[in-house]
Amino acid sequence: MQWSTIFKKELTEHWRSFKWIWVPIVFIMFAIMDPLTMYYFPIIMDSVGNVPEGATLDFPTPSVAEAMIMSFSQLGLLGVLIAVVVSMGLVSKEVKSGVYELVLSKPVSFTNYITAKYVAALMLIAFSLAVSLLVGWYYVNILFGTISLVQITVSILFFIVYFMMILGIVMLFNSFLKSQGLVAFLSIITVVILNVISSIYSHVITWSPTLISDYINMYFYSGQLETEIWFSTVAAVAITVMCLVIATITLKNRAID
Amino acid sequence: MTLMSVEQLTKTYQSTTVVNELTFSLEPGKCVALLGPNGAGKTTTLRMLAGFIKPTKGEIVFNEERFSRDVRHYVGYLPQYPVFHNWMSGEEFLTYVGQLAYLTKHEAKAKATELLELVNLSDAKKQRISKYSGGMKQRLGIAQALIHDPKLIILDEPVSSLDPIGRREVLNLIRELKKDATILFSTHILNDAEEVSEEILLMHKGEMIKQGAISEVSETQGTTSIHLSFEEEPKFIEERLKEIDSVFKVNREEEGFIVAVHDINIARSQLLDLIKHEEWELTRFEIGKTSLEDVFMKAVTE
Repeated sequence: MQWSTIFKKELTEHWRSFKWIWVPIVFIMFAIMDPLTMYYFPIIMDSVGNVPEGATLDFPTPSVAEAMIMSFSQLGLLGVLIAVVVSMGLVSKEVKSGVYELVLSKPVSFTNYITAKYVAALMLIAFSLAVSLLVGWYYVNILFGTISLVQITVSILFFIVYFMMILGIVMLFNSFLKSQGLVAFLSIITVVILNVISSIYSHVITWSPTLISDYINMYFYSGQLETEIWFSTVAAVAITVMCLVIATITLKNRAID
Repeated sequence: MTLMSVEQLTKTYQSTTVVNELTFSLEPGKCVALLGPNGAGKTTTLRMLAGFIKPTKGEIVFNEERFSRDVRHYVGYLPQYPVFHNWMSGEEFLTYVGQLAYLTKHEAKAKATELLELVNLSDAKKQRISKYSGGMKQRLGIAQALIHDPKLIILDEPVSSLDPIGRREVLNLIRELKKDATILFSTHILNDAEEVSEEILLMHKGEMIKQGAISEVSETQGTTSIHLSFEEEPKFIEERLKEIDSVFKVNREEEGFIVAVHDINIARSQLLDLIKHEEWELTRFEIGKTSLEDVFMKAVTE
């Protein structure tokens, strides 16, 4: 009951700060930007002109898989940034402003506090990802060719798992830092480091959660799910749970001033 | 019966001891003022009593352990600078914290309405908290502390940041609340303590230097100063005042004199005799109240 109180309050707060509107819209822009520009590039070049007479411009039209991957990779880059920005103040802002002291003076369990906030943020991001990628899929289907609904749905679900881990990391930094900027900065650095390490040793740590997007790409090319994606998923869930547990313990032992 | 007893309560941050071995108890139905200058450790003490900072050492026993749950179920707490979710309305916020304290939504709403009435915020209950004035926020803060019918109400500097009108409102409210709950509030203004509380705890540099009924504490200090003001300052007044045997010190102030005396009763009649005899045009004769400063100076040097 306490959990759902905090959860509903979070959803309302996201709603009143228009996050339920702007985050999906921004995500949709990221998802359709590249496929659309690629498709209309020759037309754009034509109308802009300045192409020397006689020069033939031959742009290879991307394949269906390539077009769909563009949507995913934009979100994997800019979408991660937005997700971090949206969640960087979940706890740190309340601690810094002082509302936290009032909340803390009531018999609130730290586990409820952390997980309710986390799930509310995850719902917002998962919803935005699903909507934007479905819109992207719609355009790809019209302009480039067919991808099945099953394939896009499965891909979206795995992609959400990747974001689940990112939000867990952001939550962890939230639990002991007061500055939102620092939370965002360290979260992004951590994600970048994880990405670099896993791409260098991608043949060794095949279960790395950051490889999920690579496996999704392969899925679009081959139509076959790599077995490794399941290991990555398990790893992502494990890291998320670990982050949330540590965040709860840290918050519990944190001195307020 | 004791509501809360505290033994050797100590809080240390790194190497600094903020609160040092406090021992005291709170009786039910009393209003107790925790007095002390800034930095005395009042806030830290209150936060430990409210149950959300762990003491480094010592024990807090609530109601002889008849309540074994988290102490926060029975304590209402108002921070020194209460901050709310400004995007909520007063009513929404109270309902929210009520539910955090395990009331059902229905109970929380009913209680919120009742409390908004009590703290005189009914007209503003649908307004966003961001539009509230400082005094309104303080009253909302008190309301949120009461939402779960706490046995003990802890208020951290409830009146210090308010203007005289707001201060009056809050003191009246405390007087009202006293009827059915135990109140512990901190302040650095002795007058506030005298007005509403029966007992005081006096802290200085993390230590308890004095505790007891308010009459006791001020008696031990002795009310030993008289303020005098005159229409026109008489000649040689300082010398003449000093000639009186019960007077031991005369201080010149902006608006007259403060005369420190040994025995207030003797000094009063001697002074009045002198003034009558000399026909000085007296405009003010006031038996000085003990200021917190005096209490401290005396208690610290003792």
